Amino acid sequence: MTRKTFIKEFKELFREGRLRIAFFLVVLLLGVSVWISAQQYQKINKQHEIAKTAERTIWDNQGKKNPHSAAHYGTYAFKPKYPLSLVDQGVDKYTGTSIFLEAHKRNEAQYSAAADQTGLSRFGDLTPDFILLFIIPLLIILLGYNSFTKEREMGTITLLRSQEITFWKWAMGKWAALFLPILILIASLFLIAGIILSYLKDFGVFQWDSLFWIFLVYVGYYIVFMNLVLFVSSKVKKSGVSLVLSISIWILTCLAIPKVASNVAENKYPYPTRQEFAVNVLKDKKQGLDGHNPWSKEAQLLQKNVLKKHGVDSLHQLPFNFDAYRMQKGEEHEAEIYFKHYNYLKEQFSKQSGVYKGLASFSPYLPTRFMSMAISHTDYATHWDFADAAEKYRIATQKFLNDNFAENSKYGNWKYQADADFWKQLPAFEYTPPELRTVLSKNASNLFILGGWVIGSFILFLFSTKKIK
Amino acid sequence: MITTHNLTKTYNEQTALDRLNLQVNEGEIYCLLGANGAGKTTTINLLLGFISPSSGNAFINNIEVSKNTKETKKFLAYIPENLMLYPNLTALENLDYFSGIAQKKLSKKDLVSFLTEAGLQEKAFNKRISSFSKGMRQKVGIAIALAKDAKVLLLDEPTSGLDPKASNEFGRLLGKLSKKGVATLMATHDLFRAKEIATNIGIMKDGQLKEEFIANHISLPDLENTYLDTMNFKEAVL
Repeated sequence: MTRKTFIKEFKELFREGRLRIAFFLVVLLLGVSVWISAQQYQKINKQHEIAKTAERTIWDNQGKKNPHSAAHYGTYAFKPKYPLSLVDQGVDKYTGTSIFLEAHKRNEAQYSAAADQTGLSRFGDLTPDFILLFIIPLLIILLGYNSFTKEREMGTITLLRSQEITFWKWAMGKWAALFLPILILIASLFLIAGIILSYLKDFGVFQWDSLFWIFLVYVGYYIVFMNLVLFVSSKVKKSGVSLVLSISIWILTCLAIPKVASNVAENKYPYPTRQEFAVNVLKDKKQGLDGHNPWSKEAQLLQKNVLKKHGVDSLHQLPFNFDAYRMQKGEEHEAEIYFKHYNYLKEQFSKQSGVYKGLASFSPYLPTRFMSMAISHTDYATHWDFADAAEKYRIATQKFLNDNFAENSKYGNWKYQADADFWKQLPAFEYTPPELRTVLSKNASNLFILGGWVIGSFILFLFSTKKIK
Repeated sequence: MITTHNLTKTYNEQTALDRLNLQVNEGEIYCLLGANGAGKTTTINLLLGFISPSSGNAFINNIEVSKNTKETKKFLAYIPENLMLYPNLTALENLDYFSGIAQKKLSKKDLVSFLTEAGLQEKAFNKRISSFSKGMRQKVGIAIALAKDAKVLLLDEPTSGLDPKASNEFGRLLGKLSKKGVATLMATHDLFRAKEIATNIGIMKDGQLKEEFIANHISLPDLENTYLDTMNFKEAVL
C-alpha cells in the first residue's frame, strides 16, 4: 500500500505544471547560488593568498631593524576561507577577514565583506544556505500542503475509506513521495558542491565527511518541515487553510523565532559597546605595568625585584636589556587584561548561545542553522577560535621580538637592530579550524534538539494519520 | 450477504434511521427508494462503517460491521453519487492504484480486461480521469469493484446525473455483477431504473422502511403510486 501510494503520489506531483515550475525555479536558484558562491570563493581565496604572501614578504624583508619597532610595525593574521563556506557562508560576511597583530594591543578582525557593500546588502545575498534554509522549506510546503486535503476536496477519501486500508501505511506513501524529490534535489546539490570543491585548487582541506554531515543536518531539517506540513494537511479540511497554516509555521520558525531569539539574547546578555569595552581595557591597563613607562610604580617594583633576583645594583649590570624585559612583562600584563575582557565577551556569547539553544525547541531552523555554520566553519565559535589563535600568535611574536631585543643588547641601548635574516625565523601564522569531531561534540545539543524535532514531528504526523476522515 | 437487525442511528435525539431490518442475498439487487433525508445514505454509511449505529446491528457476509469494520471492507465495493478518482492519473492507473491498495496483485492485462468488462472504451484506458464524464467514471468504479472481486456492492445514487443511455448501460453492468453473485444495495430516486434492474425494492421515509416488494411482483405504475402514497405527495399535489 505504501509503495502503491508512493508511486501514485509521485506521478500526481510531477504531472502538475505548477509544481514542475516551482521545482525548476528552485533548481535554477540553487545552481545560480552555487555558481556565484564558487566564484566569490575563488576570488576571496586568491586575494587571501596574495595578501598573505605579500605581507609575509614584507615582514621577511624588513632589513636591519629594532625588534620593538618591528613589533609596532606589526603584521597580519589572515582568516582562511573554508571549503564548506561554499555551502554555508554563515557570519563570514560580518566577522572580518584579517587581524592586525601589533605590540601592546589586541585588535578586532577587520575588512569584513559587509563593510565593503552598500546599503543594498541589507536585502541579503543569493547563497546556497539561503536556498537551503528558506526556499526549500517553501518548496516542501508547495508540494505537500494539499497532500491530504486534496483527497477530501476531490472526494477520493470516501472511496479510500471504503477500502480496507491501513491509514498510516497510506500516509507513509505520501510522505515518501514528498521526501524523494527533496532528497534527490539536495543530494544533487551536495554532490555537485563536493565535486566542485574536490577539483578546485587552493581551497583548503575539503572533507567529504563534513559535507555529508551538513547533508544529514539538512535532511533532518526537511523531514521536520515535511512532517509538519503533512500533519497540518491531515488535520484541516481545506487546502487553502492548510497552505496558510503551513506558511505561518514557516514564518514563525524561519523568520520570527530566530529574530525573537536574537533580541532576547541581546537584551538578556548584552555585549558592551565598543567604547565601553575600550574604556574598560584602558582602565585595567593603567592599573598594571606599562612596558613603555619606566617611572611607574609597577615598573619600579619590577626593577627592584629583578635587581634583587640577579644580585646586582644597577640595570646596566644585568645580562640582558631590562627595557626589552620590561616591555615583555608589560605585554604579558596587557595580554592578561585582553584575555580577561575577551573572556567576558565569550561568556556573553556563550550565554547568548544558551538562549538560542533554549528557543531552538520552538524552531528547527535554529539548530539547523547553527550546525550548518559550525560544520562549515563559518560560525562565531570558529571566528572566536581564529581570533584566539591570532592572539596567541601575537603574544608569541611579541615574546620572540622582545627576547631577541633583551638577549642581544644592554639596558639603554635603543639603537640595537636585529639582523636582516632574523625576521624569517618567526614561524608564519597558520590556523587550523576545529576538527569535525570537535565541532560535532560542541554542537551535540543542537544535534539532539534537531533529532528531537525529527522524531517528535514524525510521531505527531503518524498519530494524526491513524484515522483520517 | 447484507443484513441489518433493527439498525438505528440518531443524531441529537433526531432519528436518521429507525430499526431497519434488511436482507440482501447473493445475486440480489436491492433498490432503496426515498426522498432526501429518508435514511438511504445513512444506511449505506452504517454498512460502510463510516458511522457507528446507535443501536441494532449491520452485517456484511455475516460479519458485524461495527465490530470488524476493516474485515467487512474486504468484501465491499462502494460507488458514491459522484465517484471521484485521481484526475491526473489515467483510468488504468486509477484502477491499478485502487486494486493495489485492496491487496490485489493484477497484471496490466487483468486491469485492461476489467475496464473492458466495465464497458469503458479502449481509447479511454490511457486517458486522464480529468477528461472523463460521470458515466465513464462510474464505469471505472465498476471496474474497481470487479478487480476487487467484491461480494457486496453499495451504491449511493449512482445514476443521478447520468444521461439515459449511460444510466441504462450502468443498469446492465449491475445485472452482469448480479449474475456473478454480487449482492447490491443501491440508494436511488430513480423509480424507473429501480424497477428495471432491482430484484427487491424498499421504500424509506423518515428513517423507516415503509414498504418492501419483490420487483417482479409490482408494475411500474403501481410502484409509482405506492411511492407517492408513502411520501404523501399525492395529497400535497391535490
